[in-house]
Amino acid sequence: MSRFLNELEARDCLSEYQIPMAKSFLIRDKSEIAGLTAQMDFPVVMKILSADIRHKTEAGCVFVGVGAEETEAVYNQILANAKAYDSQAVIDGVLVQELAAKGMEVIAGMKKDPQFGPVIMVGTGGIYVEVFKDVAIRLVPLNKEEARKMLEETKLCEIIRGARGIEYDEAELISILLKLSNLAQNWPDIEEIDINPLFLYEKGRGAKGVDALIKISG
Amino acid sequence: MDNKLDALFNPCNIAVIGASNNPLKAGYTVIHNLHQIGYPGGVFPVTRSQETILGRKCHVKLSDIKVDIDLVVLGTAAPLIYEIMEDLEIRMKKYNDVKVIACIAADYGETKTAEGIRRQECLIHTAKKYGIRVVGPNCIGVIDNINRVDTTFVETLIPKEMGGCKGGISFISQSGAMAASILMMGASQPASISMNKFVSIGNMADVDCIDLLEYFEADNDTKVIGMYLEGYPDGRRLIETLARIAKKKPVVILKVGRSSVGAQAANSHTGSLAGSDAVYDAAFRQYGIIRAYTIEELMDTLQAFDAMSLPRGNKCFLLTQAGGPGIYCTDAYMDQGNLQFPRVSDETKEELTNLLPPMANVGSPEGYADITAAAGARQHVESLRTILADDNVDCVIFVTVVPTFLPQKELGEKLVELLKEYPEKPVYICIMAGNYVLESRRILETNGIRTFATPSHCVKAAGNMTAYGNFLANRKEEV
Repeated sequence: MSRFLNELEARDCLSEYQIPMAKSFLIRDKSEIAGLTAQMDFPVVMKILSADIRHKTEAGCVFVGVGAEETEAVYNQILANAKAYDSQAVIDGVLVQELAAKGMEVIAGMKKDPQFGPVIMVGTGGIYVEVFKDVAIRLVPLNKEEARKMLEETKLCEIIRGARGIEYDEAELISILLKLSNLAQNWPDIEEIDINPLFLYEKGRGAKGVDALIKISG
Repeated sequence: MDNKLDALFNPCNIAVIGASNNPLKAGYTVIHNLHQIGYPGGVFPVTRSQETILGRKCHVKLSDIKVDIDLVVLGTAAPLIYEIMEDLEIRMKKYNDVKVIACIAADYGETKTAEGIRRQECLIHTAKKYGIRVVGPNCIGVIDNINRVDTTFVETLIPKEMGGCKGGISFISQSGAMAASILMMGASQPASISMNKFVSIGNMADVDCIDLLEYFEADNDTKVIGMYLEGYPDGRRLIETLARIAKKKPVVILKVGRSSVGAQAANSHTGSLAGSDAVYDAAFRQYGIIRAYTIEELMDTLQAFDAMSLPRGNKCFLLTQAGGPGIYCTDAYMDQGNLQFPRVSDETKEELTNLLPPMANVGSPEGYADITAAAGARQHVESLRTILADDNVDCVIFVTVVPTFLPQKELGEKLVELLKEYPEKPVYICIMAGNYVLESRRILETNGIRTFATPSHCVKAAGNMTAYGNFLANRKEEV
């Protein structure tokens, strides 16, 4: 049996390995909202945290660009929408996430092949990953040279290297891939990691993972 | 590595169980092939129904043979396995000599029936008891061309005089039919390919890909390893083995099951868990293992590795004798992706211009020359010499369509002389006019210089050689 970590757990797990992720806080109770305002830059993203609600947007449980004064109203709205969508769903709370600046959409991740063990993946991210199929893979452990070669197998690489004049932070992406390789080696229970989108910024400005999914066995 | 496998490739005496006098039966062909290849040891046919086969005295039972037998070829119909194994036990208790069984019969575990599985278990169980290694079942057997062993039951087409010839290619096939075809196609080239060791592994009930890869890894006569692969249950271990070997010698693999339907077919064929093709592909790239996509590419690449030294870089000059084939070749060259046209020196260009007919094209595009159909044998050879002498050139693709007025024999002989002067630079020669040019191709090939059927065949071989050369060079830098 395998299960998915919730978004917050996934984020914490990746942050532990210095993989840059958008800042998130969990609100379990209305009383926690006030304390939040001091810690975040607004506007923010607010969404439901529940393993039972997979399609959060369809459920009306994602709000983008929420201002500080709206937080409480949105909080109530999300809980109400979640209840309306699935009255049986177990709700962990509402996630408040930093609204990350847009960057080049990348997918980075790892998947355990039943025969070969962990495999690292990188490619063009976003909602059309399955359509473009612009991903390259390598077995773990990955070294810097292989990470670079792997990236060069994707069309994404051309974009990153300035196809339209903007060069993106390739060094940061490669470092993230190496961290994923490390993580996969240290945690054999992890079956799958998907960071999508990972926003890659201009050269020297790093990257930020916005959505992450981690599947573990047991 | 298991030394017992020595007996598979270099046995002192061979017993053939299920031998026959009927030329239409496998049990005959095995004896015939052993005779044909000039196997120097003793061959002992085992059968109830004959006195002699091809002049060799038959025995009724394996346990009746009085001399040491280290290789047993098992070709009897599968239902008889139980009594044969009982007899094997008698022999082992008495002589304890058999080291390897090559089971070339089918109708064992591959059928996935209870009875088939039981037969295979009986075979393996008995063999294990005495430390005997088993190749197969459900395979065509083994050829060692240097030690002159051929336990196959197929017409290999390998000419008799090839027996004992040194060749550097060792090959492992998960399919008997692919193995047989590759052998026969290799033997049908202008000059027959001389393989070193050749194994069809069938069900891999005991000896599997990894055992053989490790054997070939340590075998000094093996310069390059070829493989037809459908899948392997422990992909990770296979890749680790291949990765270790690829640091020392090239491994070229025709891996099938690229499409999901193909993978399904592979699963039901060898019953091996095919594993994700995308991961195999990534692993091959990662560890310098060369993947061939067609039978032709596999054979061309193996021969290129066997016959030539590795290029030191990716600068590949394209020398053609005609426009069309040159342009056709250029397209394939660009698709290949890892070759680069060299910029030769002004002296080289000048020398070529002086040497060639006035209408020849030298250096347009850079790294390309068309010597035209007006070029004679001397101009073919001298222009190639000039290019090989240029330091900017790592290898050359040479394409010519021999016109009726060009003496083929002279061309072949002069090329042989020249190429012996430049052993460090690979030259991929395509003399492309079908059977018309067999004579020049044969002269080259019997002198150890491989020729290719079409320009795109040259390009694939050149691309793969260059990729492997780069892989090794990058590794050295890292170390």
